Amino acid sequence: MTAYLIRRVLQSILVVFISAVASYVLLSFAPGGPLSGLRQITQSGRFRITEEDIARIRASFELDLNLPIRFSRWLVGVPRGPLTIGGKEYFGDAVVGCRKPIEAEITNSRGVTEIITVGCKEEVLLKDLVGRRTSRGILLGDFGLSWRLLRDRPVSDLIESRIPKTLQLIGLETLLSLIIGIPLGIYSAVKQYSRFDYIFTTLAFMGSAMPSFFFGLLFILLFSILPKNAGQAYIPAGLSESVRNYTIPLIGEVIAGSAKDRTLHLILPVAVLTILNIAGWSRFIRASMLDVLRQDYVRTARAKGLGQKMVIMKHALRNALIPFITIVVFTIPGLFGGAIITESIFAWPGMGRLYILALGDYDYPVAMALFFILSVLTVIATLLRDILYTIADPRIRLH
Amino acid sequence: MDNIKAEAITIEERSPFQVVMMRFVRHRLAMVSMAVMIIIFIATILAPYITSYKIDELNVNNYFLPFGATDEDGRVHYLGTDNIGRDYFSRLIYAGRISLTVALLSVLISETIGILVGAVSGFYGGWVDAVLMRFVEFMLTIPTLPLLLIISSMLLRNENLIPIPESVLKVVGDIMLLGPKDARNAILIVIVLAGFGWLSAAQLMRGTILSLREQTFVEASRSLGATDIWIIFKHMIPNAMAPIIVDASLGLAGYVVAEAALAFLGFGIQDPIPTWGNMLSATQQYMFDKPWLPLVPGLPIFICSLAFNYIGDGLRDALDPRLKL
Repeated sequence: MTAYLIRRVLQSILVVFISAVASYVLLSFAPGGPLSGLRQITQSGRFRITEEDIARIRASFELDLNLPIRFSRWLVGVPRGPLTIGGKEYFGDAVVGCRKPIEAEITNSRGVTEIITVGCKEEVLLKDLVGRRTSRGILLGDFGLSWRLLRDRPVSDLIESRIPKTLQLIGLETLLSLIIGIPLGIYSAVKQYSRFDYIFTTLAFMGSAMPSFFFGLLFILLFSILPKNAGQAYIPAGLSESVRNYTIPLIGEVIAGSAKDRTLHLILPVAVLTILNIAGWSRFIRASMLDVLRQDYVRTARAKGLGQKMVIMKHALRNALIPFITIVVFTIPGLFGGAIITESIFAWPGMGRLYILALGDYDYPVAMALFFILSVLTVIATLLRDILYTIADPRIRLH
Repeated sequence: MDNIKAEAITIEERSPFQVVMMRFVRHRLAMVSMAVMIIIFIATILAPYITSYKIDELNVNNYFLPFGATDEDGRVHYLGTDNIGRDYFSRLIYAGRISLTVALLSVLISETIGILVGAVSGFYGGWVDAVLMRFVEFMLTIPTLPLLLIISSMLLRNENLIPIPESVLKVVGDIMLLGPKDARNAILIVIVLAGFGWLSAAQLMRGTILSLREQTFVEASRSLGATDIWIIFKHMIPNAMAPIIVDASLGLAGYVVAEAALAFLGFGIQDPIPTWGNMLSATQQYMFDKPWLPLVPGLPIFICSLAFNYIGDGLRDALDPRLKL
């Protein structure tokens, strides 16, 4: 067990590292960034931004450094200057980047003009890095500076304000799905082939085929727009609290930012996430319950005269929940992904929406930081799932 | 009396295919779904003949015409026009052609890769298996949607990063009725989707191959001097197709939704090219005044997803009743 755990943890660290490298490299190939648009700013026919300005901006966003150096500074915050061993400096003159690239316009085979870098006028040496503003590396929780969304402010400021909002959604979603989904699944399994079971399985099947973005829009239509247009009581949609006070029929006046306001805004996104989640989870519970109810030990329990309640709750449910636990653990990282879509529809100021904004607005440090957090969460959940498997079912041997 | 006896003993012989077909036909919802999908496919194949507008044909000053409005040439906007006066019905049909082609191509590519990787991995075992399956497990631990978004945002801004042969662009463009440049955008999305879709197919295939490998007919074939390639392609893959067919059908539903989700979030196929996802995304800002608008591109996505799911369910019941969830 210990050897297995150590190996799995090492593997997980490797997964996180590789996915960080892969996504960092991918995003550094993507055009755009803090420089996009700057070159086009002109004043009385001349470029307002000089080459020197561009070099300075490039330096402040580390764009003048070579990719491996930049990645290493992003991940762990080194190198910050020449290697110092026993008071002596080494590799001070190593080239780590290019301050002013030589650019040339070329026309490619399809007749499109592109600007490509052909050489370097002024190089950046390792010793030039001394005294440069640098992050401590994302492994220590320092995600660097935002490029565009909150220019020059730490990424962690942006993310910190968003994490509670996403956790609020996902926490409520998970809790409600468990409270509602498990009894639904059990009841449907116990009353197999009843009318309830038939309706439930049909709805659950539809729910798991339903795209969340369409479901979200339908909810906004049904519970927000249509009743509001008709002058009926409605549920506000969009953002996590409203900007100014408003009045809803039956509910009365709602003060912007009050607890009532925030609760009202939570209803729709949580409902959408929960219903779709229940569709998947309770279907699983039902299947696993049906499987257990067919087992010999359930028949034995019935045969020795136990009541239906006792058989279901004590003998069947416990065993049916074993595979379910692992499903729940494994869907948790997926919930963050699902929250991306739902948060976008409801303009909910959480991590998912921030991720979309950052990718759309070329703010790659923010996108990278969020992706890194998500990868770590996924890997931890995967690890947890595999460990839970063995705790829940001792027949599974680890190797 | 003689007649009854004769009937009792002669059982009509049925091939395995007939048995599967009979079971499939008995799944009512799968049959209804099949009919719906056939209608949608025929409509999209006949797109140029049943629509009277081109996808980018603007009808100036006729924004948001109601359902069934006619223009000065007497042509009918069956579903009205959109925010810049393009015919909604025509765009919807063409969008279906593009969305469904993307889904079909993604399934085709991902299942093919999955079958090959899974078969090689399961058949040879040892370090080949270890390397391939560790890689698959590694890919599955990465959060999918966030990574899809990163990759597609990078590819969409850097369209020439992956070289695509002109002939492929032309063929796919002809299927989708798009120019080569627009076809590139669609193919990039196929690459992104299929690039992650093959993982589960590979795992599925490997599992089936592992159990098939020990069967006596494989041993018999080998003793007759069959090569590995022959055994894999002639004996293994055909016998392991049942779960793959089910997976492909469920995969179609997944890809229709995934493509729409990417387009909806702004990282999929971009606007002048119509897809159900980006049409739905565009309705968001007008839905306060025109609440029916999201239903028009949204319902086809849901219907296709549901139909492919039911077909997959029916196929699973028909091919292997034990697999039922």
